[in-house]
Amino acid sequence: MNEPQGRPAVQDDRRRRFELLALPHLDAAYNLARWLAGNSADAEDVLQDAYLRAFRYFDAFRGGSDIRVWLLSIVRNTFLSWVKENRSNRLVFIPDDRGADATEPAETMWGETPRDPEALMLQSADAGMLNRLVEDLPTEYREVLLLREVEEMSYRDISAVVGVPIGTVMSRLARSRAMLRHRWHTQSAKEASHGV
Amino acid sequence: MECDRASALLHPLIDGELGFLGRQRLLRHVARCGGCAGRLSELQALQTALRTKLQYHRAPPALAARIGAAIARESPSLAPARRRLFGRGSGVPAGFGLAGGLVGAAAGVALTLLVTGAPIRPESDMVSAVLDSHVRSLLPNHLTDVVTSDRHTVKPWLSSRVDVSPPVRDLAEEGFPLVGGRVDYVDGHQVGVVVYRHDRHIINLLAWSSPGKADEGLKTQSRQGFNLITWRKGGVTFWAVSDLEIGELRKFALAIAAAG
Repeated sequence: MNEPQGRPAVQDDRRRRFELLALPHLDAAYNLARWLAGNSADAEDVLQDAYLRAFRYFDAFRGGSDIRVWLLSIVRNTFLSWVKENRSNRLVFIPDDRGADATEPAETMWGETPRDPEALMLQSADAGMLNRLVEDLPTEYREVLLLREVEEMSYRDISAVVGVPIGTVMSRLARSRAMLRHRWHTQSAKEASHGV
Repeated sequence: MECDRASALLHPLIDGELGFLGRQRLLRHVARCGGCAGRLSELQALQTALRTKLQYHRAPPALAARIGAAIARESPSLAPARRRLFGRGSGVPAGFGLAGGLVGAAAGVALTLLVTGAPIRPESDMVSAVLDSHVRSLLPNHLTDVVTSDRHTVKPWLSSRVDVSPPVRDLAEEGFPLVGGRVDYVDGHQVGVVVYRHDRHIINLLAWSSPGKADEGLKTQSRQGFNLITWRKGGVTFWAVSDLEIGELRKFALAIAAAG
């Protein structure tokens, strides 16, 4: 045990502790970055940047809290500032409760007439179409949907990642499902009429 | 309850965010209201479609190495000095974790934590060992030795390799399909592991013999973003570990415990 007790050893421990905690969540972090950025090259840049940031601010991470929530919030914030700095040709955040197609049922959420047999159709929905529809959701709706349905996070954790109150998480989630449902019906009808 | 109010609550319902009483009230309304019942089944269908059909983008293997290198550049290191830790009877055979960059990093740092962390109680030591097994399993090509959803293949395969095999059940109906099995090293012993899945979340179920020890009910804990549940029954200790939310993991553990 004749290691120097100075900075390098401390740095080394810090780095290993960081890697132990952060690397197991690389897939979750990448998946979020990939869905936000829309392509893998940008997602990889965002993720590397996010992990470096996380490492720099690692001392601010409180041991008792959830590392996945902390990391994903950094990935998200890194993506946002990356969009601001680099390119904005991908449309990003729009003000809450606006920006959706005007023909879509807005505040009724799921309040429209239910179409029961179509619940069955949704189950056999074409995966490619569903993925495209989610890709086309505005970012702020897409992210809560992903955190909920893919990462299966609680409202509380989603609110921590996104940095909005739980009530906003709920309304965005309801809204994104309403948009998806509406667009899915529209798209299905369109394809049916083209005989696809 | 009015339909407007009920419609808004359907989302927290399918998201598991309603308390017991709220759920009962809402379900009473749904039972009497065809409109809300239709909305609920449509919402559930959408949720199922999203959970099974949305693409999960896994990090490309080279990315972990790239990030590791970027972090290393930020932090001057004495990395090789830690290698000796692999000899400390931590349950991982020397060299086990050194096969690939990420494997080395993950297993290596796990051991560092055991050594440099606060005074270690046997309990938390075991949590770390189980968690190590889970984390290793998530690395590329480490999840399963035998990949099959057929329990009649997994069971004999495990039984021929370890004394105690975790229950191999068909829980696909309950939402926990079987993925496969493997033999792992935990706390210096060979341990049978059966791998299940819930949507995209991997669940590792470990079991080993603890002769003479009393039965214990489900105990839950969280560590590093993962949830762990342990229990003991009939002289066998069980561990379920996953990044699945705790409520779902509990359902899984209860299903296994009830069957086993």
